[in-house]
Amino acid sequence: MPENSNHISEQPVNVEKIKQILDVNNGARVRTWLNICASCGLCAESCFFYLAKDKDPKVSPAYKFKTTLGEMYKKKGNVDREFLKKCYDILWGECTTCKRCSMYCPFGIDIATMISTARTVCWSQGVFPEGLARTLTNYRETGNQMGTSKEDFIETCEWMAEEFEDEIKGITIPIDRPGAKYMYTVNPREPVYYPQDLGMAAQIFTVAGEDWTMPSSGWDCTNLPMFAGDRALAGEVVRRMYDKALELGAEKILITECGHAYRSAAFEGPYLAGYPDGKPPIEIVHSVQLLYQYLRDGRISIDPDKRIEEPVTYQDPCNVSRNGGLWEEGRKIIEYLAKDFRDMSPNREHNHCCGGGGGFIPMGSEFKSRRMVSGKIKAEQIKATGAKIVITPCHNCFDQITDLNEEYDLGVKVSSLKEIICEQMIIPDHLKPE
Amino acid sequence: MPTVEFEGNTFNIDEDGFIDDFNNWSEAWVRHVKTTEGIEELTDEHWKVIKVLQDYYKKNGIAPMVRILSKVTGFKLKYIYELFPSGPGKGACKMAGLPKPTGCV
Repeated sequence: MPENSNHISEQPVNVEKIKQILDVNNGARVRTWLNICASCGLCAESCFFYLAKDKDPKVSPAYKFKTTLGEMYKKKGNVDREFLKKCYDILWGECTTCKRCSMYCPFGIDIATMISTARTVCWSQGVFPEGLARTLTNYRETGNQMGTSKEDFIETCEWMAEEFEDEIKGITIPIDRPGAKYMYTVNPREPVYYPQDLGMAAQIFTVAGEDWTMPSSGWDCTNLPMFAGDRALAGEVVRRMYDKALELGAEKILITECGHAYRSAAFEGPYLAGYPDGKPPIEIVHSVQLLYQYLRDGRISIDPDKRIEEPVTYQDPCNVSRNGGLWEEGRKIIEYLAKDFRDMSPNREHNHCCGGGGGFIPMGSEFKSRRMVSGKIKAEQIKATGAKIVITPCHNCFDQITDLNEEYDLGVKVSSLKEIICEQMIIPDHLKPE
Repeated sequence: MPTVEFEGNTFNIDEDGFIDDFNNWSEAWVRHVKTTEGIEELTDEHWKVIKVLQDYYKKNGIAPMVRILSKVTGFKLKYIYELFPSGPGKGACKMAGLPKPTGCV
């Protein structure tokens, strides 16, 4: 980590606080995991950091959790700041908590969860990436990671509906409509920097005749405090979204094409927000599920002449596929959209992280070159397919593969699912502009 | 910190290729970024976008959302993309000397 990172507190370490985290956060479970690790090494081969760094044992998952969280337990929380700074580079710079190692461990040790716990310890002492710190301030002050005001968000929705009137007659983006089937939640990058994403979603929902709304608050489904280690704020962020959906009487929450938002809303969020049974108070649906249903049920029809001829591959976002169980939906959607689909190897739940997950992209420039080094495995996987288009339903995968494309000269175009669906779907006559 | 040499100037840049400090921005920087952003010729419209981004940044300390950029310049979204193929968040901000935007972007 950089020597002069002014955001990193130089205060003495608060050992009591660290102890609390180690004891409260399922201390018994973690101690068991630390004890039963047989150093078999199977986790090493599963890790893309390890593979990308010529099998350096120092980046094997077992080494990473033993030298961070393991030491914290061994020393009963009595660690110094130098130690925490070393942890910083390992916990954020050498792990995306993609959970591939957790799946490959023969003892079922959830290594990614241990890394997350160690992140919480570091966060509690002010040691965490500045890029994430900036978003935490925004979440706290405005309820979303980019600090967008309610007025600006609503105005962007209205603007997008206006701009897309040329494509679809009567297109609207309803706000706070009570009792809708789906409350659609997005990543702030969409209203702020890629507003066309909102327009494309609105086009698809209009053609499908969907009963949907966007909320005026709680619309940010991302959860970067979850990756920064700030569990209290992570809980607050996800609770705002649940509460808004309950207030509006929505039937389900629909998550945009974002990976970690699904992990947060469907799996980690309930615990973070204080639902002890681990179940969200309202059904969570990822975009890949709904888009597939539209095509399967004929609510969206594809113009056969527009199907893609060039070879296409699919990037499984870790938090949609491996950690979300939704690896078939994306592939089934692509069957409708492309003629020449070529899967990466390995794929589905076994797929490698792109190298942009776990907070890596928003961690900012400080981590860019590390992202490019560890992304080598993904670049090689993509190259081996010969694909010209990489489709992925995750913004961080999108950005990381866009960067890898440049770094490794892959010659691909990266796309979301909705972008291609919008290019190919048939607009029914009654929705065609006059 | 990496540096880039262009037209006799030396710019300090971050790992994403954004200029290290807004105060070190100059027109030569714009011509440098143009070469990496796939922009053939810099027009008055490009300069208008750059100026709006800079004015907003000086006042608010962050980049404006695209809605504000469109409203102030009077350019439609599609036209902004024609001007800056890598998008307003990345290409245009980089040219204007703003830091890389915060968050998932």
